[in-house]
Amino acid sequence: MMIDRKNRQQQKLRGDASLSVLLAFVLLAASLSSAQTLGKAPTLEVAAIPLVTAQRAQATMVNLNFRVPPGYHINSNAPKSEFLIATALKMDLPTDIILGKIEYPAGEDRSFPFSPDEKLSVYSGDFTIAVAVHPLHSVVPGKYGMRGVLRYQACDNAACYPPKNLPVNFEVKVVKEPPAAGNHRNPAQSPNVH
Amino acid sequence: MKRSPLALVVVAFVVALMLYFGYHQARRNASTTPRITQSTIAPDFSLESLDGKTTHLSDFRGKAVLLNFWATWCGPCKIEMPWFVDLQNQYRAQGFQIVGVAMDDGSKEDIAKFAKDMGVNYPILIGKDSVGDAYGGVPALPQSFLITRDGKIVDKIIGLRGKAEIEDSIKKALNTRPAASQASASEKSSVAQ
Repeated sequence: MMIDRKNRQQQKLRGDASLSVLLAFVLLAASLSSAQTLGKAPTLEVAAIPLVTAQRAQATMVNLNFRVPPGYHINSNAPKSEFLIATALKMDLPTDIILGKIEYPAGEDRSFPFSPDEKLSVYSGDFTIAVAVHPLHSVVPGKYGMRGVLRYQACDNAACYPPKNLPVNFEVKVVKEPPAAGNHRNPAQSPNVH
Repeated sequence: MKRSPLALVVVAFVVALMLYFGYHQARRNASTTPRITQSTIAPDFSLESLDGKTTHLSDFRGKAVLLNFWATWCGPCKIEMPWFVDLQNQYRAQGFQIVGVAMDDGSKEDIAKFAKDMGVNYPILIGKDSVGDAYGGVPALPQSFLITRDGKIVDKIIGLRGKAEIEDSIKKALNTRPAASQASASEKSSVAQ
């Protein structure tokens, strides 16, 4: 009987604790969402890019992972209006490291309260842009810094924010290409064998 | 009723976090932008219009003005524009004037094309950051200020709101009489008494 009552009390306490924690998170979420409505321009995040190893004379794809803060969206690389600002990556690479293709993800077609009849092509949440880095044969093996910026323009459901540039930097370790197959030299032969 | 001490600690921590966050946000906003409040005198400016004329806000003194900061890349701004065209037609005779300030980095031609496509029937001026800063920074678009006939800000609208709400603000700006008229009206009423 005593044990039953104790168990019930403990369960109640656990329930109270869960409820309080839930309430706390709701309050925190409300606080963060009210902060968003203050009109502060959102800032995209780029995930840390680990050191990329790229072989000379071939293209290596590098994935760049971005995150749009909750409640916001940015235009995709191919927005549906000439006036909208496309998300675009610009890279400035060292001499003899060539920038290959930049692969943008397809935008998500969404309508918003400010344009219920029109679908916009946007990125929200997490998205990845892949970029090909191609060190030429002439590059001396070693580490090289790649510098770039992602230009984007964000909106929420009721307002838009001026375009911003997010720095995107990473390092590439250039290594020698393996010896080409079938390119092995035959051992030297005497011209006087025959 | 007995509460879990852990839950109380969590709640206290979150409340402290919210207070810290809110305080710093408010401080940052206050320190970086001039305070534009109701009944502040609207800062005057000099901007070039799409037809190349230099236009001052003070040129519209005597009219109620809706000063709208917008950009061609701003989707919500595009929604407001047809409403503004209607409201300009509806309230023009009462001395109401909409003035658009384009905060684009793009060319004047692009802005003109956009405005023409939207059928804009009010002046569009080419914005400058310094003018935006004078109005509190204009960090988000659209942003509109309702200005009375004697140049006082009576309302500020950030982001897209309903047409009815904008119309209410226009009526507020129109119904606020200039100080001189108010003085003469009160003189008249005291004479009548």
